[in-house]
Amino acid sequence: MKKKHRMTFLLICLGLLYLAVFAAGFLSPYDVAEQDRELPFAPPSRIHFTDTRGALHLRPSVCLLAEDSVQFGVYHEDTQKCFPIRFFVDGPQYKLGGLLACTRHLFGVDPPARLFLLGTDGYGRDLFSRFLHGGQISLAAGLLATLLSLAIGVLLGTASGFFGGWLDAVVMRFGELFIALPWLYLLFALRAFLPLNINPSQAFLLLIAVIGSVGWARPARLIRGVVLTGKERHYVLAARIFGGSPLYLVRRHILPQTYSIILTQAVLLIPQYILAEVTLSFLGLGVAEPEPSWGNMLASVQQYHVLVSYWWMLLPGIALVPVFLGYVLLANTLQARAT
Amino acid sequence: MKYLGLRLFQSVFVLLGVSLLSFIFVEFAPGNFFDEIRLNPRISTSTVTNLRKQYGMDQPLPVRYFRWLESAAKGELGFSFAYNAPVGPLLWARARNTLLLTGSATLLAWLIALPLGILSAARPRGWINHACELFTTALLATPDLLLALGLLFLAVHFHWFHAGGMFSQESAGQGSWVLSKDLAAHMVFPVTVLVLGSLPILLRHTRAAMLEVLDSPYVRASRALGISRGRILFRHALPAAINPLVSLFGFSLGSLLSASLLTEVVMSWPGLGPLLLEAVLARDIYVVIGAVLFSTLLLVFGTLLADVLLFAADPRIRTEGLA
Amino acid sequence: MKIRVSGFAVVLLAGAYLYSFTLAVLAQSPQAGEELFLSSNQVGHYGGHLVVSLRSEPKTLNPVTSLDISSREVIAQMTGDLIHINRLTQDTQPALAKTWQVSPDGLKYTLHLRHALRFSDGHPVDADDVLFSFKVYLDEKSQSPQRDALIIAGKPIVVKRLDAYTVVFELVQPYAAAERLFDSLAILPRHLLEKAYQEGKLGQAWGLGSSPGEIAGLGPFRLKEYVAGQRIILERNPYYWQADRKGNRLPYLDDITFLFVTSADAEVIRFQAGDTDIINRLSAADASVLEGNQSVHLDDLGPSLEYNFLFFNLNATVPAQSGEITRKQNWFRQVKFRQAVSLAIDRDGITRLVYRGRATPLWTPVTPASKFWIDTAIPHPPRSVDQARKMLQSAGFSWKPDGTLIDGAGSPVEFSIVTSASNTQRTQMATMIQADLKELGMRVQVVPLEFRAVLDRVFQTHDYEAAVLALGGGDVDPNSQMNVWLSSGSDHLWNIGQLHPATTWEAEIDQLMEKQLSTLKPEARKLLYNRVQEIFAENVPLICLVSPNILVGAKNQIANFKPATLDPHTLWNAQELFLVGKGSTERP
Repeated sequence: MKKKHRMTFLLICLGLLYLAVFAAGFLSPYDVAEQDRELPFAPPSRIHFTDTRGALHLRPSVCLLAEDSVQFGVYHEDTQKCFPIRFFVDGPQYKLGGLLACTRHLFGVDPPARLFLLGTDGYGRDLFSRFLHGGQISLAAGLLATLLSLAIGVLLGTASGFFGGWLDAVVMRFGELFIALPWLYLLFALRAFLPLNINPSQAFLLLIAVIGSVGWARPARLIRGVVLTGKERHYVLAARIFGGSPLYLVRRHILPQTYSIILTQAVLLIPQYILAEVTLSFLGLGVAEPEPSWGNMLASVQQYHVLVSYWWMLLPGIALVPVFLGYVLLANTLQARAT
Repeated sequence: MKYLGLRLFQSVFVLLGVSLLSFIFVEFAPGNFFDEIRLNPRISTSTVTNLRKQYGMDQPLPVRYFRWLESAAKGELGFSFAYNAPVGPLLWARARNTLLLTGSATLLAWLIALPLGILSAARPRGWINHACELFTTALLATPDLLLALGLLFLAVHFHWFHAGGMFSQESAGQGSWVLSKDLAAHMVFPVTVLVLGSLPILLRHTRAAMLEVLDSPYVRASRALGISRGRILFRHALPAAINPLVSLFGFSLGSLLSASLLTEVVMSWPGLGPLLLEAVLARDIYVVIGAVLFSTLLLVFGTLLADVLLFAADPRIRTEGLA
Repeated sequence: MKIRVSGFAVVLLAGAYLYSFTLAVLAQSPQAGEELFLSSNQVGHYGGHLVVSLRSEPKTLNPVTSLDISSREVIAQMTGDLIHINRLTQDTQPALAKTWQVSPDGLKYTLHLRHALRFSDGHPVDADDVLFSFKVYLDEKSQSPQRDALIIAGKPIVVKRLDAYTVVFELVQPYAAAERLFDSLAILPRHLLEKAYQEGKLGQAWGLGSSPGEIAGLGPFRLKEYVAGQRIILERNPYYWQADRKGNRLPYLDDITFLFVTSADAEVIRFQAGDTDIINRLSAADASVLEGNQSVHLDDLGPSLEYNFLFFNLNATVPAQSGEITRKQNWFRQVKFRQAVSLAIDRDGITRLVYRGRATPLWTPVTPASKFWIDTAIPHPPRSVDQARKMLQSAGFSWKPDGTLIDGAGSPVEFSIVTSASNTQRTQMATMIQADLKELGMRVQVVPLEFRAVLDRVFQTHDYEAAVLALGGGDVDPNSQMNVWLSSGSDHLWNIGQLHPATTWEAEIDQLMEKQLSTLKPEARKLLYNRVQEIFAENVPLICLVSPNILVGAKNQIANFKPATLDPHTLWNAQELFLVGKGSTERP
């Protein structure tokens, strides 16, 4: 595929993903907090294209699920009681884009049947709905935190590498300090200073600020290394002799040399920051129940009994792979373009 | 030489700074070691207060900091509330085990990442490149803990290697050959987790750096001149691409003590990880500060080495004086 | 003929020599005058190694200063006490003290020690060791957490020696269940520790780095080896004072290894893989992992003494800047509010979802595990959102058109529940309560914080609105929970350390608990304690949720395995355990 076409294709794919996440309310059949206590840890619903008599139908249907009377977490399907999947149904209210109140959902099924495309978690909440809604926070937070980290990293790394001397020493030692400190304690202390009830938007911004400002040291050092080399290149020296100001030199000649590193770091940091929420939720700084995020959904799989018995809880994790792949391919294309 | 001296001087500052800041952070974190005893209805508040006094926890911060400095100079690094013993020896015994694990993992990771990264950059449309990309993306989407649990699942159900620990009971008191085999068998899973955890970063940076260099005019010229591919890769391209890799290497060294915390905990490896995690959660502050200091020492050394190597590897930096 | 007879004789002699040699190595045969305790267990055979996992590393082997659970588990196998509580029957039984008498006024306990017993290093035990031990425990400078239990009515117990094998304990006022005080108070070897005590260094003695020769005790096992970060191995105590019915000195096992596995997941995994033989206190979720494993069996022992609860901040002193909390306390202080919350909570749902059915719903802190003390007459109202709504209405609350609950002043009812993030069960309970209370129109936020941060807020700063925590009695006896019941108590969580009881019902509970402290007859005590439970159920300062069942697992080849509801659940009779079938003398 030609480079230009590849770029467009990738952008469309990523765009679709973002659209899906933005329209999470429309695409998900259930509310994220709705607990169906009769169906905890239910496996993904089986979709049938045949009806109770065995005839083929175009319209898919879902059969009733009931828990085994003796064993916990084991379910049996009652193939005699099946319900068709309807499209553009009425369902729980949601706010499209945070503003417009709607009740229409893309698809759904009449009660008492339940449609769990990705199964349910321990409270009986639909994982598919939670995955889509969770993307809203995780994608945004991951991106913004990465931008923050890289912004600080580029600023400090370039200054450090370009000017050298005591500025370099101070910034680099400060960076080492930053990496070495016991962050867990600082985060405990931070949480203690915050009010008990943080509203979701504050929590979101806090998340970004915390993750982003902790991780600047490594990008800074990498960029500094490249800048150290970059500023000695002949054309940079030449531009200097010709009277180029530092700002001009940095902007025109040195920064372009760092694009490769910045892109690579971005691609590595976004997933790491999305997953960083797993640790933060343990400290009370993540997204609070019952709001979902990819981080806290993955956190629940990190228990042995869940991993072993409920394989579908891994599906949100697996679904992350194409998302990250999209970023990777985008970064590759951008890098290929830049060189 | 003067540079080394200057860096050592700065490093002392960093160490002191880290220790002081750690003290301050710890001061602000809510809770203290004796809080958990409060949950026991059979112990009175006055006992808790007296215990705090006995361990000097009611003293003001500067006093405690200077006492700790004194103890650090003696090599004790303070006192552990939980173990009722000096921190230094406690940490050192575990640090050895951790270094064994992370040292092997780092070595292995670099040995795998460098050739793979170079190969995938050399053939951007080859299957190795695509496989590596998919592989690293999948790894990035997997938290370390999940990976560890997955491997343990294999250990339990298929009896591959061991489900945790450092040595088996059976091998106690046997000859060194048996012990070494046992140790190696126990190391396989933890090292695998650590290697897989650090592979994405190393692989991607190697690949990106090589790609950038391979596209530069002089490499293209060399190819036009007919110089062999291998020679170009290793003699011309790699040295030019080595810049970010050296910095990363410094970080690899620096995180030798801290990278394996979760892995050690879930795989019962008797290293610094379980000790540190418990100490952090229990507010056994001197253990935490001691471990932080050990880590910082390594980090400072790692970055120093990286800077030295950077100067040595890239002749362009050495011309700094010219401007 | 001659040759055969002498050959046979040689074999016989050799056999006898080997047998007695083995016995001598395995266990010292009973000496003259030694008064052993004969246990009534099934008779087993010698040999075998047991591997048990510990979820955290023990920090010390010093019985005087040990604080954490893991240390106490190991120490329990190495030490003996005067009177022991049988974990299965929950009654006291003679241990080092073979008999005892109580004076008619209940103030004097005369204990007669067994004669000719020895410590694990062979040194004889007598009353001087008992005196020394209690001197150490009662000394304020030792900072022993055990000291508080020995203070009755503000005055420490006085210990006197009558003769080499008789000791007298004097109290200032009669104390119900005084015998239970002696459980787990290890008798220390004077010959090893007196010097350290006099130098004031007793607290540092018997740390993990100690050599086996420095430590001696009266437990079934003694220290053999400690490998930092990995395991601690205890070997058979050849001088142990218990024997089976046939007079064979216990324990049967050659040694016990405590393996340090640092997380609950790791513990299950190692047990599943066969690395450990016994697993203690499984969670219900982890137990499901083990179903289907043929070489182990799982035992569900029913409810434990632990009780999980939701409670509101009723403290008079809250941080000055939080006018919010003071305002919300107007709701929390109303009994009807708390009762409504209790009615709306889906305890069955919690039992099913969080514990997979392996838990018992509770309405008071006294769980069914206390078979004698629980008041069965207390009503257990089923979940009813309608009744809860009626109750709220009668307390002056009403609802907005969108369903939000508002108080008399029109402010919406919202509060946060603080819980420990590392305890998944309690966080799950809080999340379920959040959904339950939504049906009442309350907006609840779940705030999982790190455990110490929670403790800090509950005990120190009082900066919280509601919290979900758990307490667990170590013993069934009501005296062990005094600090929870008494309004001045340090664990009176909803309103800690009051100078005067804040409410009339708390004052009444104070009186009743003080009274039962010195009532000696169990039936009379039970009447008083029943009344305490009734008052509690009416006023619900702690909205009790569930008590998780005790789940333990063990390999099938372990015999005499009798897990009990009291801690330590599986190793309380370690001296009686033995291995059957293949692997009895091999390492498992």
